Amino acid sequence: MVRATRNLRSVTNENDENTAAPTARVTRAKAAALNVDELSMPSKPLQTKKATGAVANATRKRNVLGDVSNVTKAEAADGKKPAARTGLVSKAAQPTGIKKTTSTRSALTTKEANKKVETKRSGPGSIVAQKRKMMKTKEPAAAKEVEAPEEGEPIRKKVHTSEQDENVQTDVTQEKPATKEPVASPGPEAAAPRHRPPTPEAAKILDSEDLDDPLMVAEYANDIFEYLRDLEPNSVPNPQYMAHQDDLDWKTRGILIDWLVEVHTRFHLLPETLFLAVNIVDRFLSEKVVQLDRLQLVGITAMFIASKYEEVLSPHIANFRHIADDGFTEAEILSAERFVLATLNYDLSYPNPMNFLRRISKADNYDIESRTFGKYLMEIGLLDHRLMGYRPSHIAAAAMYLARLILDRGEWDETLSYYAGYTEEEILPVVLLMIDYMARPVIHEAFFKKYASKKFLKASIIARQWAKKNAPLYGITNTQLTLDEVS
Amino acid sequence: MDGKRHAASFQQLEKLGEGTYATVFKGRNRQTGELVALKEIHLDSEEGTPSTAIREISLMKELKHENIVALHDVIHTENKLMLVFEYMDGDLKKYMDAHGERGALKPHVIKSFMYQLLRGIDFCHKNRVLHRDLKPQNLLINNKGQLKLGDFGLARAFGIPVNTFSNEVVTLWYRAPDVLLGSRTYNTSIDIWSAGCIMAEMFTGRPLFPGTTNEDQILRIFRIMGTPNERTWPGLSQFPEFKSTWQSYSIQPLGTILPQIDPLGIDLLGCMLQLRPELRISAADALKHPWFADLIGQSGVPVQQQQQSMTSQIPGQPQMMAPPYGQVPSQAGYGGY
Repeated sequence: MVRATRNLRSVTNENDENTAAPTARVTRAKAAALNVDELSMPSKPLQTKKATGAVANATRKRNVLGDVSNVTKAEAADGKKPAARTGLVSKAAQPTGIKKTTSTRSALTTKEANKKVETKRSGPGSIVAQKRKMMKTKEPAAAKEVEAPEEGEPIRKKVHTSEQDENVQTDVTQEKPATKEPVASPGPEAAAPRHRPPTPEAAKILDSEDLDDPLMVAEYANDIFEYLRDLEPNSVPNPQYMAHQDDLDWKTRGILIDWLVEVHTRFHLLPETLFLAVNIVDRFLSEKVVQLDRLQLVGITAMFIASKYEEVLSPHIANFRHIADDGFTEAEILSAERFVLATLNYDLSYPNPMNFLRRISKADNYDIESRTFGKYLMEIGLLDHRLMGYRPSHIAAAAMYLARLILDRGEWDETLSYYAGYTEEEILPVVLLMIDYMARPVIHEAFFKKYASKKFLKASIIARQWAKKNAPLYGITNTQLTLDEVS
Repeated sequence: MDGKRHAASFQQLEKLGEGTYATVFKGRNRQTGELVALKEIHLDSEEGTPSTAIREISLMKELKHENIVALHDVIHTENKLMLVFEYMDGDLKKYMDAHGERGALKPHVIKSFMYQLLRGIDFCHKNRVLHRDLKPQNLLINNKGQLKLGDFGLARAFGIPVNTFSNEVVTLWYRAPDVLLGSRTYNTSIDIWSAGCIMAEMFTGRPLFPGTTNEDQILRIFRIMGTPNERTWPGLSQFPEFKSTWQSYSIQPLGTILPQIDPLGIDLLGCMLQLRPELRISAADALKHPWFADLIGQSGVPVQQQQQSMTSQIPGQPQMMAPPYGQVPSQAGYGGY
């Protein structure tokens, strides 16, 4: 067996800690693990953005939830004093004694806020710059570099300490924990019968290949994947939670997640971190009612928690505060952190779809192209709420299936089916939703741009073209409307 | 599980251990009288809930096994997070100090402890968790002779293929050579190395490789296991801490260094203390090693009952009570939790 080393050179940086890993042995699997995942010279799309329509883009970005508030539910209309709003999340998220000034609301709506945003761009920009510099000087195998406080840790002053007690915001605790079952995911879940086919010969051979590769933990792999499958149902959010969110809708959520994709890219975090962060957001929203002006706090807090869980070195809280345009104080983020963790019972054992994707990729000869497309398709599962009720393993299987279909990689044979744990028939409903998503107009721009980059093989562009062309073959015709309009 | 109880539900007794991020107290459930260990985590840090605590709680809630200390409850108060664990009488370090002959334990006690240790490790690994800080202080013992893994503060879940991690893990003396050499892609085998070190320590009463620095630690290991080279360990020279100037030691037979251990035990130890991680035995295979045959084979009873029979073998049951903590020189750490 020839161990593939060819891709090692192209290892890049979204997985910062991976890139710098000094490895004594390079195995096929390791090469896959390193390189796959992430490509991206991180700052590319952002840089371009900056260069071009800075104003428009900055607006869109920093505004995050702003544009929604204009069009959706009444309370969010701009004119209102933010201070009049009730805070999301109850006492815990808003401890007594935390004062805010009205100006901190800039992440929502106002035009002034947008201007402010522009002048502030040096902040995140400097992260990027610093990062790039670091990357240039970094030798591929310099572990020490990574040990250094990284994740673009700009030196920044602490803002929140200076905020004084004007405009004390009173907080109405709103805990309307929707009497619904927290994790009822009737439709999709029920549709996925769990039966393990007998191990095909090819799979046995593939498994035995790993025996001399410690990173594959071959002797435990089957136990572990079985265990992850058992865990899955516990971490599926309630796909109907929007029914109890008076102030939010799916479009708002889409904007938030799209922004989180961007934050994630800027911070150069591991792919696992993004999936966990979105899972935290959705499980939290399954349990608690959240006000529009607190939604971004939930999002940034979820990313903060996910980083602590997944990353070797998590970015400091100041970076999270800053990327949310100082819309919330560090104290607010910390207090939201505790409230979110308590709401989820500190249960972060979410079987990450990245694990399943890599598992399937093994049966696909660790093909970099199909795995990159698979990653893009899997992230559709984050942005399209219609996929929320499916298990991570199911999403991963569908993503890999569709990636191979788009790239014309041959049939879904029994080895693939074995490693994925799903037959073609089981996968198809999820695949159809993914095609439907792609055939519609782009509404999640950060997500689209991330995967339009060369580093990601322009997966979003190519896959969308394919979807537009082939959607009718799958009976998907009415694709003029955006996802938001049909939700 | 959470939220039902308050800090006030527990009477706080003496302190069991203290560290920078947590303090552990003995406690008593006021309603049931049940003894517990209360691990208080300070939240005053600028960065909020420590990532160690987040991982520890999340993982411990999953890992329900008789050889892993049970997390009963998580209670959060104004500025503290309190973890309520099952109470254990002491840790292996203190047990050795109190019961051993100059620290050394009786062979059949060691066999029972090793079996339980490996079962706990095996369960962690099957559930894709690396403990990453196994040492005598983190192995808790109760007066029934049960051994349980504690302090999952450094633990984390891993994926397949294993991702890269920090190499700032495991107390120096129990740290695997690949980690000492700077590897960040270690896997389940790092816990096995620690287990091997612990096994030897139970036989001698002294740590096997009591190094003072990373470099010293590496050399102490090589002095016994032999200095590896590119031929015996392909890829060795690519480790960040590789030095071409290492003194070349030849391999010492473990049986000579550790005459206390019977040949089968030496064989198992040799499988655990392989320099190359890929050659180290897995916990699942170690449990099947013939050294344990007389533990398991005796009756062929299922493990559950086996556990009972093992405990009854341990001599001097009455003395099994760990000494009161006050009498033991207090150590840094969290009392094993």
